Amino acid sequence: MSRFPWGALLALLLGLGAGLAYAWTISPLQIIDAIPSALRDDFKDQYRSAIAAAYVSTGNLERAKARLALLDDIDPIEALNAQAQRLLANAEFQSADQVVLLSAALQGNGIALVPPPTPTAQTENTQPTQPQNTPSLIPTSSTQDIVTATLEIAPTQPLLVASTPRPTQTPIPTIGAPFKLIAQESLCDSNLPDGLLQVLVLNSNRRQMPGMEIRITWEANDDRFFTGLKPELGNGYADFLMTPNIAYSVQLAQGSDVASGLIAPACQTSSGENYFGGFKLTFQQPK
Amino acid sequence: MKINRWLFIFLAFVIGIGAGLAYGWFIDPVDFFDLTPDTLRADFKTDYVLMVAEAYHSHRDPGISARQLAIFGSQSPTSIASQGLTYARANQFAEADLVLIQELVTALQAWSGIP
Repeated sequence: MSRFPWGALLALLLGLGAGLAYAWTISPLQIIDAIPSALRDDFKDQYRSAIAAAYVSTGNLERAKARLALLDDIDPIEALNAQAQRLLANAEFQSADQVVLLSAALQGNGIALVPPPTPTAQTENTQPTQPQNTPSLIPTSSTQDIVTATLEIAPTQPLLVASTPRPTQTPIPTIGAPFKLIAQESLCDSNLPDGLLQVLVLNSNRRQMPGMEIRITWEANDDRFFTGLKPELGNGYADFLMTPNIAYSVQLAQGSDVASGLIAPACQTSSGENYFGGFKLTFQQPK
Repeated sequence: MKINRWLFIFLAFVIGIGAGLAYGWFIDPVDFFDLTPDTLRADFKTDYVLMVAEAYHSHRDPGISARQLAIFGSQSPTSIASQGLTYARANQFAEADLVLIQELVTALQAWSGIP
């Protein structure tokens, strides 16, 4: 009766463990052919910014979509919106505009983009040809996209609306209808700061819009603030603290109804304490 | 047969190591994340260069392009763009894309003072 080779089994397991330890921790495979989705988050942000900048330059939405897909974001639009908020918070307004513009285009709310003329007369194929031995990176559509839709976001990027003469028809950017002030509520809530002015900006589909510039004027002063800097309260949310007894006027920089005569209302708690309330304004772009 | 027994154990150990290496390197290698752009595959790097070139064609500011290319690490922006151009040429990118990258390379060379 032969005995079970416990010694050999133990040696096999020890060898297996040693091999795995070497392969996983001591000398893992060198990374030389990474894909964009494996990048660190801040580098993914830069990758997205580059995609947006290229999109703004070329107007090629299909190519931008293909590039965004490489990042494997669960929701590319949300990823772009969140990045736009981070850029705004860092005062990188031009990049934020580009990212917001791409996000809007993905949602079908883009503005007309006219790509600058290509530097050569040879424009038969504007798509990069991919190497045969690597997966296709970019769609192979042979047409150069020109995105047309009504203006819904006011980019400050001057390149977006270049009226470049072209032999073919050039879409003219259409200015979207001014935003409507659809709600103005006076709020008395002692849990909120005194004189809090809340602004909510919605697009025609009632989706909140980040990066919208809001102008506020009072007496001989003015100021501006942006939606999206407090994403925990909503992408289209912005607020401003009003000084009591001063009348303010609020308007979206892109063009909207004006909410004027906003004076922080005098309120009282149930225990009889006086405090100043605020306002909540909701702007929406008409369809 | 004591020697045979130890040989058998040694062989089992070696087989175990081989199996462990094969599994750890080929079957289920370590998942990498939080990587830096210099580890990107050459075609993705080149596409990034192309994105920068496309944007450059509009803004015409080589400084902005150089900052965008700086994510690849210590190499000079001109060198990164040139490598992208080489790859794009070798892999038959569309002529319009090659022209854009060439335009970027030329601008970066002038910007950085490389003749």
